[in-house]
Amino acid sequence: MVSEKLYLKGDKLLNILDYDFKSIKNALRMGRKETIQKIKDSELKGRGGAAFPTGLKWQLASEVEGEEKFLVCNADEGEPGTFKDRYLLEERPLKVLEGIMLAAFAIGADKAYIYIRGEYTRAIEVFTEIIAAARKNKILDSKIFDSNFKLEIKLVRGAGAYVCGDETSLLNSIEGKRGRSRIKPPYPIQEGLFSQPTVVNNVESLCCAAEVLNPDSEEFANLGIEGSRGTKLLCLSGDLNKPGLYEVEFGKITLQEIIYDLAGGIKAGENLKFVIPGGISTALITAKDLDFPYSYQAFEKRGSSLGSGAVIAVSKKHDLLDLMLNVSRFYMDETCGTCFPCREGNRQINKILKEFKNSGQKIDAELISDIGNTIRLAARCGLGQSSLNFISSVIENYGQELKIGGKIYA
Amino acid sequence: MLKAVIDGIEMELKEKMSILDAAKKAKINIPTLCYEEGLSIYGGCRLCVVEIEGEELLKPACATDIQAGMEIKTHSKKVRNLRKNLFELIIATHNIDCQLNCLTCSRANNCELKNIAEDIGVSKMRLDPIKRGEGIDNSSYSIIREPEKCISCNRCIRKCEEVQGIGIFTTANRGPETVVTTFKNRGMGNVECTNCGQCILSCPTGALHELYQKDIVLDILSDQTKHVVVQTAPAVRVAISEPFSNQAGDISTGQLVTALKRLGFDAVFDTNFTADLTIMEEGTELIERINSGGKLPLFTSCSPGWIKFIEHFYPEYLDNLSSAKSPQQMFGALAKTYYAEEAGIDPEDIVVVSVMPCTAKKFEAKRDEMAGDVDYVLTTRELAAMIKSAGIDFLNLEESEYDELLGVSSGAADIFGTTGGVMEAALRTATELITGQELENIDFDSVRGLEGIKKAEVEIGELKLKAAVAHGLGNARRVMEMIKEGEEFDFVEFMACPGGCMGGGGQPISCADNVLEKRQQAIYRIDKEKKLRKSHENPYIKKLYDNYLEKPGSEKAHRLLHTKYKARKI
Amino acid sequence: MSKARSLFYQDSLLEKLHEVQSTYGYIPETVIKELAEKYQLPRANIYGVISFYSMFYTEPTGKYIIRICDSISCHLNQSESVLKAVKSYLNLESHQTTKDKKFTLEVVECLGHCGEGPVMMVNNKIYTKIDGNKALEILGGCI
Repeated sequence: MVSEKLYLKGDKLLNILDYDFKSIKNALRMGRKETIQKIKDSELKGRGGAAFPTGLKWQLASEVEGEEKFLVCNADEGEPGTFKDRYLLEERPLKVLEGIMLAAFAIGADKAYIYIRGEYTRAIEVFTEIIAAARKNKILDSKIFDSNFKLEIKLVRGAGAYVCGDETSLLNSIEGKRGRSRIKPPYPIQEGLFSQPTVVNNVESLCCAAEVLNPDSEEFANLGIEGSRGTKLLCLSGDLNKPGLYEVEFGKITLQEIIYDLAGGIKAGENLKFVIPGGISTALITAKDLDFPYSYQAFEKRGSSLGSGAVIAVSKKHDLLDLMLNVSRFYMDETCGTCFPCREGNRQINKILKEFKNSGQKIDAELISDIGNTIRLAARCGLGQSSLNFISSVIENYGQELKIGGKIYA
Repeated sequence: MLKAVIDGIEMELKEKMSILDAAKKAKINIPTLCYEEGLSIYGGCRLCVVEIEGEELLKPACATDIQAGMEIKTHSKKVRNLRKNLFELIIATHNIDCQLNCLTCSRANNCELKNIAEDIGVSKMRLDPIKRGEGIDNSSYSIIREPEKCISCNRCIRKCEEVQGIGIFTTANRGPETVVTTFKNRGMGNVECTNCGQCILSCPTGALHELYQKDIVLDILSDQTKHVVVQTAPAVRVAISEPFSNQAGDISTGQLVTALKRLGFDAVFDTNFTADLTIMEEGTELIERINSGGKLPLFTSCSPGWIKFIEHFYPEYLDNLSSAKSPQQMFGALAKTYYAEEAGIDPEDIVVVSVMPCTAKKFEAKRDEMAGDVDYVLTTRELAAMIKSAGIDFLNLEESEYDELLGVSSGAADIFGTTGGVMEAALRTATELITGQELENIDFDSVRGLEGIKKAEVEIGELKLKAAVAHGLGNARRVMEMIKEGEEFDFVEFMACPGGCMGGGGQPISCADNVLEKRQQAIYRIDKEKKLRKSHENPYIKKLYDNYLEKPGSEKAHRLLHTKYKARKI
Repeated sequence: MSKARSLFYQDSLLEKLHEVQSTYGYIPETVIKELAEKYQLPRANIYGVISFYSMFYTEPTGKYIIRICDSISCHLNQSESVLKAVKSYLNLESHQTTKDKKFTLEVVECLGHCGEGPVMMVNNKIYTKIDGNKALEILGGCI
């Protein structure tokens, strides 16, 4: 019988007077270098979707000189299908707070931001209270736990733009600008917020980091498998019997088991067609290909990605073209509008799909492929680069059904 | 030393630079659209993407620095195909629905989109043009904006914000609704636009152009009952040949006059004449303010873009402006009074047309305070179009002279066309009037050059005149802030356009390098080769005062040649 | 104080806009002018920022802003039928406001409650597991 592995999921952590802050205390004792080494040894990868090694990011940032250094917690969770960060913010904000403190300490920052999307009213309320309580109880202070570490945290609310979840767009947004992406290099670690060295970490990544440094927790590096250490919060949704938030240990459960055991399988009377494994910026996995262990490398091998961990199950009853239009509309509306490939490409794809839906003749597959390639190769940021992943995978797998011929990517 | 390979060519670079600049050194032109020298890097059009060995995704050449050991392919098959596909996406936003658009467009001859299409070999267009349904913005007296032609390259936004320091444009909305527009889409004429037209010079398409008056003027020229008089600004004669010859820096004064005569103007005069007059009036004003403790520093008032700027942003300093009208406006006033009397023509029948390197002059002509002086303003570009439409072989015309009464001018007037010119012209006259002695060297090098802000202390007898020269409104703003902080000046020349009038928003849009330097050299050459080089020695200026105005600053001079300003809200 | 430091201590423009939006229901022109002064930005720039973000408006909105998610997970769970019912009841399309200025409808992307869809937000309150009838009930309760 498969089960969840509870590591980040747990009892509510809302009362600051009952919380021990063991991880940050541990880190303060160990010192910055050792703390960073522990994170590196844990092989923790960023949980926002980009999967960059967290320890390496912190180490690089700790070595950069700057007038100021900033830590930014990215709580702009917007990938359709994803709600894990909301859980952590609303129910276990003290763990998030501790993760922020840990990261700031490790990289040598004494100023941090948490950027929470504007629609997460409850999370904003809860975290505002937590910050106030932390200040009141000297947890956020000039000498935290009697050390030389000091930290101030500011909360900035997002205002309804998915693209602000991209790290450079997020920085522009905090700076009071339109949320358009920045060209990299320079990377945020070199020139980030207000041109200063900045580390942007996802909420779940910070909570994992807190557990890595928690002396009471299981050893993170012992969980999971090589290449995919630790656990992952999964957001299961779609045509499932038991959608919701689950946590699994990497490599110890298959995608098949996640769908049919954890989530109770497909709703009565329907059959699974495919699974979108990591939010709509990832390529689909067909129903007959689910029997592999859940890990970063397994998805990469299959030309997809585990993304944010938003697993969406799609049954056969849905119209494929309708779903493609839904995803295409998302990217068309959410693009920041700066670069031509992403803005115009996504708009044109949407137009082509709409016309195909209304008139029903053959689609110019080569045209879609050309546009898709243009966006993927030349777009400015991750949003653009992944915007055609889902649609292309639908055409690749179900082209016949849709009366579209030809290869998608040249 | 950075070593890199571009298209198989080994490069050794002494300093850090972008792939775009490095490629240029290797004589490789990478197509760009949103990149413009002098503006911040936008990196949005992605046409300049290149292939870097070892990387799957393509990188923008304008925004990526060369790293040691990079192997770059700027025109590989992958890149060329991508550029063609990308171009299809770009052109689909441009609304060339072939309803005569490319033929009637202001940029029919020099559209950057057309040039790029040719360079990258566009051969198919599989996408329908997107119709955004945005109407034309004709709220301004100077500039027309056609949003349907806009491709959102953002150059106008950056030019207005970064170089001119104003920022009337922005990108609004996101997603498919992304547009370039003004504050709440109010229209250029309804916001703090100064009409400088620098945005027109930056726009790669015909989305921005001047409000045309060339067709009306052509019609009026055929009206035999009207006596149509034309004046030409100093900066026009060093740029008018560019649309015909494709090279910059040629002096075509004589051909300009001949062309205007052939077009049918009844009198061909020169704004240079009233430039000399401006020096007389403003020079007198300066001396008077210095002697009687009047408001200093004195600001020049001949640039209408600068005037609207100070009216919006520094209205508390309006009293520092010279009350003298600009040469264009002085001319109009005299044409309908002094000239009308001398020539025996009913002022009602006189139509005054000016040819200017400037778009703001169209707004200036319509100001209430000076209503009736000038009837129509044509940009240098418009005149070139008129000359072409009349079949005139401009480059091979014989030379003619201006009509004399309002057409004789000194070299000091010619240099009005460049930044520092008004200052220098004023100094030539002021120095001789104050000291009573003739100047040996009348070249004031300290106020020459293209530096954004020039400061100089000029000795005039016992007076140490603190002068400053600023060109481009960004620099104008900086000087105003210096003055607010307490820095002292006696006389400041302000020009709205970078380079002064020779870089005006109405000048031919050149794709040549170093256009401003070339035009400037031509201007100083004209001055150097003239025998008459000081405004106060102009015999026709003397005649004007002796026979008509009495003296500078007289009551009649004030009535005809001076004006008022008004504070404008933002 | 270094520039970056002083910027940290300054109020983020985004936060200021949120304050104004919740006070007035939109960002009035007079406030834009003040913000332009305070942040030393052209007002066109501030307009560009406001118009970028879905939660800020330059024109007055209804007393209740109704946001209904139509991203993929909710879509798979019949968000369209909720939309149909609400659009018909309010006689509005997305981005429109009722004549009596009571409701503004926005069809939005993922609100982060994907396991409990369809989802509807009324101003700051989230309602999950909505169907057409429940949606109309909630709207009816808005006074």
